[in-house]
Amino acid sequence: MTAKVSIRGLYKIFGPNDAAMVDHVRGGMDKPTLLERHSHVLGLQDINVDMQPGEITVIMGLSGSGKSTLIRHLNRLIEPSAGEILVDGGDVMKLGQSALRDLRQKKMSMVFQKFALLPHKSVLENAQLPLSVQGADAATCDAEGRKWLARVGLEGFEDRYPAQLSGGMQQRVGIARALTANTDIMLMDEAFSALDPLIRTDMQNLLLELQKELSKTIIFITHDLDEALKLADHLVILKDGAVVQQGEPQGILLNPSDPYIEDFVSDINRARVLRVRSVMQPLTGTSFANDVSPSSTLEDLIAQSGGDTEQVYRVVENGTAVGQLEMTDLVKALVPRVSEGRTAAR
Amino acid sequence: MAQYDGLFDGLGLRDWCDADKQDAPMSMAQLLAQSGASDSTEEGGGLPFPSLDALHESCAAVPQTRDLTAGIEAGFLAIRAELKFVLDPITQPLSWMLDGALWVFESAPWWVMIPALLALTYWVSRSRPVTGFVALVLLFFGLIDHYEVAMQTLAIVFVCTGLSVVLGVPIGIGMSKSDTAQRTIVPILDLLQTLPTFVYLIPLIFLFSVTESKLYGIAIILYAIVPVIRLTDLGIRLVDKDVIEAANAFGLTAWQKLARVELPLALPNIMAGVNQTIMMSLAMVVIASLVSAPGLGVLVLRGIRNLELGVGIVAGLGIVLLAVILDRVSKAALARVDTQRKDA
Repeated sequence: MTAKVSIRGLYKIFGPNDAAMVDHVRGGMDKPTLLERHSHVLGLQDINVDMQPGEITVIMGLSGSGKSTLIRHLNRLIEPSAGEILVDGGDVMKLGQSALRDLRQKKMSMVFQKFALLPHKSVLENAQLPLSVQGADAATCDAEGRKWLARVGLEGFEDRYPAQLSGGMQQRVGIARALTANTDIMLMDEAFSALDPLIRTDMQNLLLELQKELSKTIIFITHDLDEALKLADHLVILKDGAVVQQGEPQGILLNPSDPYIEDFVSDINRARVLRVRSVMQPLTGTSFANDVSPSSTLEDLIAQSGGDTEQVYRVVENGTAVGQLEMTDLVKALVPRVSEGRTAAR
Repeated sequence: MAQYDGLFDGLGLRDWCDADKQDAPMSMAQLLAQSGASDSTEEGGGLPFPSLDALHESCAAVPQTRDLTAGIEAGFLAIRAELKFVLDPITQPLSWMLDGALWVFESAPWWVMIPALLALTYWVSRSRPVTGFVALVLLFFGLIDHYEVAMQTLAIVFVCTGLSVVLGVPIGIGMSKSDTAQRTIVPILDLLQTLPTFVYLIPLIFLFSVTESKLYGIAIILYAIVPVIRLTDLGIRLVDKDVIEAANAFGLTAWQKLARVELPLALPNIMAGVNQTIMMSLAMVVIASLVSAPGLGVLVLRGIRNLELGVGIVAGLGIVLLAVILDRVSKAALARVDTQRKDA
C-alpha cells in the first residue's frame, strides 16, 4: 500500500533566516538553545509520517506541540523550512502558484477549529463555495451543496446564515463545505475542539459514518486523546515539534515508548478503548465460556462475563477462531503501564 | 555693525560672505538698515536669535527668510505650466461631471427631482421613517425658496463623494495589501486631514481658473477622500484571519478572495468611511464657495460679507439639515447591510 500523503524530513523554524537554522537543528540543537543563540523558534523537526489512503491519521499533541503548524504544511498554508511533502507521489513543495491552487481546490479540503464560514453568505452558499470557486455552473453547485448539507443533517437550513446556527451545526456546514469539494484528502484542524462534549461525540460518530461510506484520506488534528483513540487508524503523537511515537493506536496504548506517552495514556478509560484483538493470545485451550468478536472492547467483554475473572473466551472472526482471551489477561491489560512481552496484534 | 560679524570672521568666512556683495542697497530692508531706521540691536537684549535675517545682516551670502517664501512661489510658478499641462486634461472630466450634475439638478423640475431623490433614499435605506424625514426636509427647502441652492450643494456632494469612493476604495485596498504602501500613504492622509482647508485652495487657484468647477471639485475630493481610504484599509485588515485562511485553503484566487470575502466583510467599515466622506465634502462645499462653488455656501458667504445675519443663519441651518439627511440615509444603508448579515 503506497501512502497517499507522505511527509519526509520536514522542518519548520520560525524566524527571518529559517533555512540557515535547519542545519543547527539537524546538528542536535534544541528549542531553547536555538531561541537563545539565534532567536529563531523551532516549530517542527524531522517529521516523517506516511498517511495511507482511506485511513484516518490522527495527529495528537498538546498545545504548542506544532500539530496545527504541521497540518498547514500539507496544503502549504505555511511554507516549511526544509523537507518534502508528497501527495500521490508528487512533491507539493515544487508546485507553482496555480498548481498549488489546483491542489487546494481539487485534492485537499479543510475543516477548521473556528469553522471559518463566510458570515455574509447563506449556509447553502457556504457549502457551495469550493465548487463555485472552481467555476462550476449554478445548477451543479446547488445540487452538490444541497446533497452534502442533507448528508450532514442540515436539510432545511440551506437559507439560514451561519450566525443563526449553533456551533455544532456550523461545523456541520464546515464539513459539508469540505465534502462538496469532493477531494480525496480532508484536513481537519481541531475540527471538534470548540464543541461541547455531547455534540463532539455526535460529530465524531458522523465523521466515522461518513468515512465508512466515502473512504477519504483524513488527517485529523486533536489534543484530546479519547477523540484520537476513537477516530485513529494511525496515531501520531507530537511533542515539542517532534514525533514521539506513531503507529496503530492500540499498540501505542499497550506499549508507550516514552514516559511522556505513558503519562498521557494513564488517564484514559482503557477498558473502553482497548479491543479484544489487541490483548488476545494464540488459541491453545479447548473449552471456552463463550465466543467474542475481536473488535469488541474489553468493557463489553467485562459486562458479558459479569465480572467473573475465571473465564476464558474464544475470539471468533467471520466464523473462524483466531485466538483466545483469559479474563486474567484482560485485567492485566487494564493496568496502565508497559506490559512486558505482549505486543499489539494487528 | 551686526552682531554675528565676529562669528563669520572667526570662521574665516568673510571672503565667502562678501563675495558678491553689492554696494548699492538692493532692498527695502537694506535701505532701512542703512539709514538706521531698524535697529535690531535693541530687541532681544542685544543678541537677536540667529535667524536667517539676523545672519544676513552680518553676511550677505546667507539668504533672507523672505527668500524662502519667494523661492517656493517662484518654484511653483516655474513648474506651473508643466503641472497645468499634465493636470488639466486629467481633471477635465471632473469639471464636466460637476457641470453636468449641476445642470441635471438645476434643470430637472422639482416635481421630478424630489420623487427621484425620495426613491433613491428608499432604495438605499429601505426605511420609511428616514424617507419621510427626507421628504419633509426637501419640502422645507422648497418652502423657504432654498430648493435650488440646496440642489446645487447636493449635486456637488454627490459627484465629489462618488469620485472619492471610486478613487478611495482601490487606494484603501492597495494599502491593506502592502505595508509599504500603508507606510507611504498614511502620512499623506494625515497631511490632507490636518492642512487647513483654505491652504488647498491657494495652489489650485494658481493652477486652474477660478471659473472652472474642477477647482473646487479637487479641493473637496482631496479633503473628503481621506476617511474612505482609511476605513477601507482598516476594514480589510480587520477581516477575520480564520476566514482568510479558509479562503486560501479552498484555493481562491486573489481576486476571488477580494470580491467574495474581503470586500463584503469590510463593507460595514467602508460604508462608515463613505458616511464620513459625505460629511466632510459637505463641510468643504461651504469653503469652496470662496472659489465659485455654487450652493448654500454662497449664501453663508454673503451673510459674512454683507453682515446679513438672517441669510447666513438660514443657509447655515440649511447645511445642517442637508448634513442630517445625508447622514441618516447613509447610516440607514449601513444598518441595512449589517442586519442583512445577522438575521436575514
